[in-house]
Amino acid sequence: MIKLKLIQKERVNTQMDVGISIIAICIAFIICGIIVAIQGVNPLDALWVSVDTTLFNAYGLSEVLVKATPLIFCGLAVGIALTSKVWNIGAEGQLYMGAMFATAVVMHLPTMPTFIQLTVMIIAGGIGGAFWALIPAVLKIRFKVDEIITTLLLNYVAIYLVDHLIFGIWKNEDNYPFTPEFPVQARLPLLGFERVHFGIILAVIATIVIFLLIKYSSWGYKVRLTGASTQSAKYSGINVKKIMFSIFIVSGILAGLAGVSEVAGVQYKLQHQLSMGFGFTGIIVAWLARANPIGIVIYSLFMSAVITSSEMLEMLMGLPASMGTIAQGIILFAILGSEIFKSYNIKVIIKEKK
Amino acid sequence: MSDILVKMNKINKSFFGVKANNNIDFVLKKGEIHALLGENGAGKTTLMNILTGVYQQDSGNIEFDGKPLELNFPGEALQKGIGMVHQRLSLVGNLTILENIILGLPSNKIWLNMKERKEFIMKYAKKFDFNLDWDTRCDQVPIGVRQKAEILKMLVRDVEVLIVDEPTTVLTKQEADNLLDTFKKIAATGKGVIFITHKMPEVFKVADTITVMRKGEKIGTIATDKVEPMKLSVMMVGEKEAIIFDRKKTNSSQNTILVENLTVGNVVPTVNNVSFSIKKGEILGIAGVTGNGQHDLMESIMGIKPYKSGKITFNEKDITDCSVKERIDAGISYIPSDRVNVGVAGNRPIWENSVSKVYRKNAYQKRRFLKIGKLKNYTDVNILEKYDVLHPGLNFPAILLSGGNLQKIIIGREIEAGSDLFICSYPTRGLDVGATDFVRKALLELRNKGKSVLLISSDFDELFGLADNLAVMYEGKFTGQFKNGDYDISEIGLMMSGTYQKDLDKEKESC
Repeated sequence: MIKLKLIQKERVNTQMDVGISIIAICIAFIICGIIVAIQGVNPLDALWVSVDTTLFNAYGLSEVLVKATPLIFCGLAVGIALTSKVWNIGAEGQLYMGAMFATAVVMHLPTMPTFIQLTVMIIAGGIGGAFWALIPAVLKIRFKVDEIITTLLLNYVAIYLVDHLIFGIWKNEDNYPFTPEFPVQARLPLLGFERVHFGIILAVIATIVIFLLIKYSSWGYKVRLTGASTQSAKYSGINVKKIMFSIFIVSGILAGLAGVSEVAGVQYKLQHQLSMGFGFTGIIVAWLARANPIGIVIYSLFMSAVITSSEMLEMLMGLPASMGTIAQGIILFAILGSEIFKSYNIKVIIKEKK
Repeated sequence: MSDILVKMNKINKSFFGVKANNNIDFVLKKGEIHALLGENGAGKTTLMNILTGVYQQDSGNIEFDGKPLELNFPGEALQKGIGMVHQRLSLVGNLTILENIILGLPSNKIWLNMKERKEFIMKYAKKFDFNLDWDTRCDQVPIGVRQKAEILKMLVRDVEVLIVDEPTTVLTKQEADNLLDTFKKIAATGKGVIFITHKMPEVFKVADTITVMRKGEKIGTIATDKVEPMKLSVMMVGEKEAIIFDRKKTNSSQNTILVENLTVGNVVPTVNNVSFSIKKGEILGIAGVTGNGQHDLMESIMGIKPYKSGKITFNEKDITDCSVKERIDAGISYIPSDRVNVGVAGNRPIWENSVSKVYRKNAYQKRRFLKIGKLKNYTDVNILEKYDVLHPGLNFPAILLSGGNLQKIIIGREIEAGSDLFICSYPTRGLDVGATDFVRKALLELRNKGKSVLLISSDFDELFGLADNLAVMYEGKFTGQFKNGDYDISEIGLMMSGTYQKDLDKEKESC
C-alpha cells in the first residue's frame, strides 16, 4: 500500500518557489499538448509554432505587447483591490465603461488637438471605470452587499449598455453596429513597432505608480493593514470605509484605462465585444502574481503570449481559438495546485500489506 | 488488562531548532483526570498535538490501549478515540449547537433525520449531564456553552481520551466550576481526561495526577493528594519572588474621562445606563462575567460601536460624537484581548504593526509618503529594544511572535503614543508569568505617572492587585461601584450574578 504524506516545510525558499511555478507551467503545457494531440495536431509542432510566432517573430512579439496592455491594467485593478481583500470581479465591465466614456468624448465633443483630446479621453475613461466601481462600492460600504456578486453582474450590464449604444445612437452611417472610426487626434500614438501603441507606456507608468503607492505611501500602508485585519485597522483609527471606497475607485480607474487603451490604441472605434475577456484574465493574472505589481506585468506578458499563440495556432494549424482559454484555465489550475509544494514536502510511504 | 490508556515514551520535538519537547514521558490511566501544568510555552500543547497527530514527533513512541499508535493524518486520532478540544474552538458560528455536534459524525446517513440524530445526541447528553440550547446558533451562545458543545462533540464520537486545552481561561468562575464537574463525570465512566492548564486551584479541584512541564522539559508527575500548592508552584515557575505592587498615592481630582448614562444597543441594550469617571493616576477595574457588555462598553468609548444615548467627556472635552481617529489623537489607547486579529494585523510585518500609532505624524511622512527607514528605526529603538521584545526580525509577520512578546509590542506602541487613558481588555489573558508581570507593572507605572487605566479583567488577582476602584458589570449595568477593598470576593461574586450593591448593604445592616 502506498501512502502520501504531507510534511510542512520549515522554511520557504523563494528560488524553489519559482522553480515549482515553472514546473507547474510545464505540466500545464503537457496537458495542453494532449488536448492538441486529440485534435490531430502534433503537439511538438504546435509548441514550436507557438514559440516561433510569439517570441521569434516581430509581429507575434508586438501582438503579445498589444494584448498585454489591457491585461496589465486589469491585473492591477484586481490586484490592488485584493491587497485590501476586496474582490473586484468587475474589471471587464469597468473596462467597457471606460471605453464607452472615452468614446462619448469622441462622439459628442468637438475634436481637439491630439494631446488635449487624448488627455480628456483618458480622464473620461478613468471616470467611466470609477463610476462603474462606485456602484458596488456604495452597495458594499453602505448596505453590506457582497461585492463579488455586484461587480460580476454589473459586467453584463456594462456590456449590454455598450451594445445598446452601438446598435442605437452611435451606430455607424453604413448601419454596422459600431461607431465611426475615431479621428487621428483621438488615437493613441503608435510606437513604431507594428500595432504597439502608447498604451503600453501608460500601463508601465501605472504599474510603477501603484507599486510606489502601495509600498511607500501612507495610503498604501492603510490599505495593507485593512487587507490584513479590518478589526486591527479600525482600532488604530483607520477609516476602513474610506479606504475601501478609495480602493474601489482606484481599481475602477485602472480598469477604465484598459478600456481607453483598447478603443483609442487598437480598435479606433467602439464595437461589440471590444474586450477578449481581459477583465476576467486580469483576475487570473492578479491572483497568480499575488497582487504584486511587478508580478502582474510578468504574468500579463505570459498570459498574453498564451492568447496570441493560440490565435496563431488557429490561423496556421487550424486549431480552435478556444485553445487559448483552455490553456489559461489549465495553467491557473496547475499553478494553484503547485502551491501545496511550496509549503509542504510530500513523503511517499510504502507499506507492506499484511 | 492494564489500566494504562496512553503511554508516551521519550518524545522529542523541536521547531526551527528550538526544543519544544525534550524526552518527555507521559502516562494516562483509565478514569483519570490528568492535569498538564506549566507556563505558556512549556510545551504542553505541543505534546498533546503530537498525541493527536497534528504534529509528528521527531523521535519517541506512543502506545494507546497497549498498541503502538501511528497517526498519518490529524483526523485519525479522533477515529481511534483520542479527541482534543483546542483553545480556539472550532465550532461553525452559523450552525446550531446540535448541527455542530453531528457535523461530520461517521454515523450520519445521507439523508439526515434530525429527530433521530437529536435523540442519539441526547443519550450522550443525559449520560454526562449536559443541558444545552440545542437549536440556538453557536455564535449566539456564551463561550462557556460553546466549550461544552465542543466537549460533547468529542464524547459523541466515543473518545477514550479527552484532551482539553486551557478550557477555563475565557470562562467565569461559575462556568469553570461547572466544567470541572463535567470532567469528573466523564472520568467516572472510565475515560481518561487530560487537562492542560496553568491555573493551580483548578488542578487541586479536579486532577488525580499532575504532570508539570517547564520550558520543554518534564519536571515531574505526582499524585494531587501528595503535593502542596507551594511546592507545585515552585515546580511550575522555578524559584521566583512574589510580585509586589507598590503604588504611589495619587490624589488628583481631575477627571480624565467621564461617562454619563451611556447606553449602547438598540433593541436589547448591551450597555445600559452606565456612568463612571476615572481620575488622573487611577485604575478602574471592571469585574464581571465575560459577555455582560464589557466589550460594547469599550468599543463605544473607542468610537467603534455606535451609542444610543449618553455622554462621554474626555479631558473636559465632549467626545461623544468623535471618530476613532479623533479619539486616538485626543489620547485614548486601546489594548484589546484579541491580540493577533485586533491588536495587530498578524500577517503584516512587525514594524508595520509597531508604527500604526505614529506613522501619521509629520516626522514620519513626506508628502504623504512614509519614511520607511525612520519608521523601522523607531520600531527597533522605541519598541523592540525599549520593551525588550524577543523577535526574529522586524520584517517577519507579527503572528510569529509569542503572546507575551506580541503584548509587549502592543503595550509599548500605545505607551509611546503618549495617551492619557488606556483601555485594557484582559491584558494578561493567555500570557505566562513573566509576561503577565511585565504587563501589570507597566499598567501600574502608567498609573503612577498620572495616566488613567480602564481595566477589564476576569482575574481577581489582577483586579485586586491593580485597581483603585472597582465596578461590577452584569447584563449591561453596573451592579456595584466602590473603592477596591470595600467588598470581599464573595460579595463581588454576588454582584457579578446580579445582586445590587445597595441590596447587599441593606442585608449587611439588617444582620
